[in-house]
Amino acid sequence: MSAPTEIAIHHVDAGRMGFFTDTTVCIGCKACEVACKQWNDLPADGSQFTRGGSYDHTGELSAATWRHVRFVEIAENGGHLPQLPAGNEVDVDAAVAAMENWVFMSDVCKHCTNAGCLDACPTGALIRTEFDTVVLQPDVCNGCGYCVPACPFGVVDRDPRDGRAAKCTLCYDRLQDGLEPACAKACPTDSIQFGPYEELVRTAERRVSELRRRGIEGAYLYGAGDATGEQLAGGLGAFFLLTEPPERYGLPARAESPVQENVVPATAAAVAAGVLAAAGATAAFALARGRR
Amino acid sequence: MSERDATPALGTRGEPASWARAGADVALQRTRWGDAAWSFLFGRDTGYAAAEAQPGEVAEANRRMRSGPLPDPVEGPFVKAPVWTWEVPLYFWFGGVAAGSSFVGLACDAAGDGRSAAVARKVALAAVLPCPPLLIVDLGRPARFLNMLRIFKPRSPMNTGAWALVAFSALGAGAVAADVAGRPRMARAAGAANAAIGGYLGSYTGILLAATAVPVWARSRLFLGPIFVSTATASGAAACRLALVAAGVPAGHPTRTALGNLETGAMLCELGLAQLNQRRLGRAARPLHEGRAGRLFRAAEWMVGAGLALRLVRRPLGPRVHHLASTLYLAGGLAFRYAWIEAGKASARDDEAVALMGRGAVTRGDALRRPGEARRLASAARRPRHNGRVGAAYAETVRRVSLVVERALRP
Repeated sequence: MSAPTEIAIHHVDAGRMGFFTDTTVCIGCKACEVACKQWNDLPADGSQFTRGGSYDHTGELSAATWRHVRFVEIAENGGHLPQLPAGNEVDVDAAVAAMENWVFMSDVCKHCTNAGCLDACPTGALIRTEFDTVVLQPDVCNGCGYCVPACPFGVVDRDPRDGRAAKCTLCYDRLQDGLEPACAKACPTDSIQFGPYEELVRTAERRVSELRRRGIEGAYLYGAGDATGEQLAGGLGAFFLLTEPPERYGLPARAESPVQENVVPATAAAVAAGVLAAAGATAAFALARGRR
Repeated sequence: MSERDATPALGTRGEPASWARAGADVALQRTRWGDAAWSFLFGRDTGYAAAEAQPGEVAEANRRMRSGPLPDPVEGPFVKAPVWTWEVPLYFWFGGVAAGSSFVGLACDAAGDGRSAAVARKVALAAVLPCPPLLIVDLGRPARFLNMLRIFKPRSPMNTGAWALVAFSALGAGAVAADVAGRPRMARAAGAANAAIGGYLGSYTGILLAATAVPVWARSRLFLGPIFVSTATASGAAACRLALVAAGVPAGHPTRTALGNLETGAMLCELGLAQLNQRRLGRAARPLHEGRAGRLFRAAEWMVGAGLALRLVRRPLGPRVHHLASTLYLAGGLAFRYAWIEAGKASARDDEAVALMGRGAVTRGDALRRPGEARRLASAARRPRHNGRVGAAYAETVRRVSLVVERALRP
């Protein structure tokens, strides 16, 4: 267990909790999305076929979509998205026949150990809880939007109507009452598992081992089980079992809190330049005066 | 998307979201998340309970799938594009003019030209005045702007920038007030302190952009600050030069000459640094050439180039050409600020560049830099925050005041 750091709320006896999302048993029913929206009072954000020719019609993670089941339709068919016929009329028979080509992944906030959004937040609206999760306090957020590009996974977003940023809380309110998060509760195949982090990682590693024994060589964990120094953002509180390279799921192969990675060198360069500029201004005046 | 019903099912729109324990325990609740393992599948049918993984087996599998060349095609989106609108680049520009003017004030004082220094301090104050409104308008919840100063958080460039802006405005107003009250020594001291803060005010915007997951910004991290300082110095010097001309400083006065040289030199620095940066950015440089951002960059370069040309052929054309050149520098600086923001938006939408950055293959330097090698502010090593009673009470007060302001301002 990583040392508890920067924790704003501390309760004795509370450890790190997380999600393990196993894409090999996900059936793409989107029940987690619905459960999440219901529990968290999130507005609907439309049903549209937007991502190329994908059958996925709930877009991407956003301020109003905290769980999103991503359809990865390029696994087997030579790297081409299915061509949707005009008018959004889907040929159901053809779609069912092509089922083998589909991989689903229920995407969610990763609750990073080194969270870029939390580092960037200027108001302290984003905090780390006693469960080592990252939670955005809606009564503090003033909608500056800095957390949006600071997230290396494109999770947190600012709601254009509400004005505040919003993201998964790992059902912080349910956790405090000893309940598992709504999405994990609703998942009919246990693709989304919730539990104490260390236990969850061990379960996931056993699953990888089992899948590899069955001949699925590509099975691996995204965000857990890495060697030190190769971790994604210091280890992800919500991690995934994947069977394709991460870029197929819209996940970067390497991620780190951009603030932790860049602020020190960028500040050193910028402050040095500021000093040089002030010196340059003084020198320009000295030169002009000397020439006179 | 635009027609969606955003009425909350519970509570009141615009109120702080809140929840309260209902009282009694939830029916069928099991304590300590015991209900998480309710499923008959859990631990049985799907093979979770197989034997323990070999040590290093999972790490090896992870490493294999996350290294090597990029799969083709990649399926984004990976990161979200920044949501900032026109207010932010305009703020960058005004803040830059203010910072540059503070350098000019310091230099004028050092050269013994107190009158010009006073004008430069007035320019700095005038340029910094529109900054807070611009930043507030850009917020999603403008009435809560005070929350920016709710805490002091050195690792967040936006937080330190907000504090720098407050300090700069206060010192700038103090310096001008001292000038007006006929206290030159106090004005000089405040102006000098402001030049130090101005060094950060003019450059932190570059740090802020570099500390994001946007490839073109993150991979320019050593250049964005210096580029922004150069633009700030050039536009500040140009603004001060025009103000001095308006204030009746005669042609051929050494301060006017020095400012002319300073703005040209700073703009040359900017162009040189930008070129150098562009060359080493590799695949991440694409938004600098294409689309809206590319057009803005070209427009900015043309304006600056025209200004430089006017400076070179100045003699036969008279002093007005100088003023036109200063104006062109100011306009070029503004276009550069817009271009950088637009480039970031385009870069975040460039899925291939983001994916390549994850593989460490976007710039030439990436291949040499091993992960974890960069100097970092590791949060793993940070101790729990101890704000103390005073700090916590202050933060809580600011939060409450923000909510009261928001309620009062709601139509």
